[in-house]
Amino acid sequence: MSGAIATSAVAAGRVLQRSAVRCSRPQFLRLRAQNPARSFSLSSRVLEKKYTEDHEWVDFTPGDKIATIGISEYAAKALGDVVFVELPSIDLEVTKGESIGAVESVKSASDILTPISGTVTEINNVLEDKPAAINNSPEADGWFAKITINDPAELEELMDEGAYKKFTEEASE
Amino acid sequence: MILHARAQRQAQARLSPCARRRWLSQSASERLVMGPVQSYISTSRDPFLNLSIEHYLLQKSGPETTILFLYVNRPSVIIGRNQNPWFEVNLALLNNAYEKKSEAPPPGLGVVDLVRRRSGGGTVFHDEGNVNWSVICPPAKFTRDTHAEMVVRALRSCGIDRARVNERHDIVLDQGCRGPATDAEDTHRTPYQSASGTSPRPLKVSGSAYKLTRTRALHHGTCLLSSPNLNIIPDYLHAPGKPFMTARGVESVSSPVGNILLNNADFIRAVQEQFHAKYENAGIREPLQVGNEMLDLEGVKKGYDELRSMEWTYLQTPQFSISSKSEDTKDPDLELSVRFGALNTGSLKASRLQSGEISLPEQSIGHKVHEMKSWDEALDPMLAGLDKSQRQKLTTWLDKMLPSAKVPRQEIR
Repeated sequence: MSGAIATSAVAAGRVLQRSAVRCSRPQFLRLRAQNPARSFSLSSRVLEKKYTEDHEWVDFTPGDKIATIGISEYAAKALGDVVFVELPSIDLEVTKGESIGAVESVKSASDILTPISGTVTEINNVLEDKPAAINNSPEADGWFAKITINDPAELEELMDEGAYKKFTEEASE
Repeated sequence: MILHARAQRQAQARLSPCARRRWLSQSASERLVMGPVQSYISTSRDPFLNLSIEHYLLQKSGPETTILFLYVNRPSVIIGRNQNPWFEVNLALLNNAYEKKSEAPPPGLGVVDLVRRRSGGGTVFHDEGNVNWSVICPPAKFTRDTHAEMVVRALRSCGIDRARVNERHDIVLDQGCRGPATDAEDTHRTPYQSASGTSPRPLKVSGSAYKLTRTRALHHGTCLLSSPNLNIIPDYLHAPGKPFMTARGVESVSSPVGNILLNNADFIRAVQEQFHAKYENAGIREPLQVGNEMLDLEGVKKGYDELRSMEWTYLQTPQFSISSKSEDTKDPDLELSVRFGALNTGSLKASRLQSGEISLPEQSIGHKVHEMKSWDEALDPMLAGLDKSQRQKLTTWLDKMLPSAKVPRQEIR
């Protein structure tokens, strides 16, 4: 998804350069002035990421119904080597704060809670065979599930990256 | 609110014994939200009940409280939350005792319960010579070693100076000759530790497991004091199907074990002392006794029924597959994969020399392994091409490797 956006941005830049060679200086400046406007419309579609106090993250594009959830890098480090992941079943309806699955690491069973209410539409099956993906890439390849959001307002209550960083720093003091 | 509960308690105390039982549980649940440091001990030997009381304390106690809970179970095999009973346990040995409805001949111990606990980790055997300790605390106070260290201090206070916490967060007794003195406060070293590796391996006497929730951390462990069953425990923890299986989830790490040779009462008192010293800087307080009456609490009963259910014990098993891998190339080659405790996929080759392969037919999918009455019927269309003796050999093998389950006995209250 983000890869596709980057490619089209590069393509747009190339078109711009080519036209810049042929057009006059004022035209070029006009075109360049349009560029930030264009990239603004692109960046508004970029994923936003929020965190819970329970160290789960949720990735979503504003306006989209589907969000991706997982556990934070901080949580993955605290858990230690994950040896088993129990994923939810597809179509499971979940309420914010409810257990949606579990992981085991170093003899510890820990519940994974959903940061938002909705319906599970996809699960990361890779984790069944490679539970270590949670340690290697907790906030990307180690994603846990995708959920159709019931109420986007719930996202407003969560912390952004800066607030979460501050929260974890305070927690480890 | 408190006044109301107290009035209710007084009213109930004047009523029947049944109401008094309720009174006890009422007072238990009241205490859950009162003192910041709480100590409980169980009067029950039922592993399902003790683990359910423990889970109730984990879920319902106040977020800032710290709790000690001690209990002893009748003979039982306790598997970790993400383990496979067919991989870890000799189920046939457990079944023998159920079927005979009396004490089985040696090496059987009579009825032994199989329990899947809610915490992680590996399989352990419990009996009356083993005391289970459990500490529930806020996550901020939690490390994987803190409470194992507390138990080592308790053991050392009873004169067990070989005890220490090892790198797996378990407690072991070092078996070497006494060497240079070590720091008495250091719960991770003893003078009996062998640096050169020449002395016998340390004996494990206590294993740890954890359950972490949003607001609480639970650390529980066994403590092997005087089990008369050490020589037969390996029989219970040896699953015949293990060499033929590949399983997701958690595999037990087996260690040489030993008895500490302390009596239960001395150990219990020493742990309580160390617990109060650590969290209240005070002497021992009388623990609250809990037992069967806790089943009157809805939360305990719900957890208890779940732990006793076949769904929890068997269907919670992480995905696994079993392959007949016969030495004889003329034998049929069977592979079955089990998901959520039920047949999911499979294949059969009439012999390793043949290339043709039959997949698990539609009607066989979904058969629950623990409910299996006849492998021959469940796999019928798939086995049709085999001759009678081959077919019988294969289903007998499956019966042995993947035994079905017997219903746990009902607790007499």
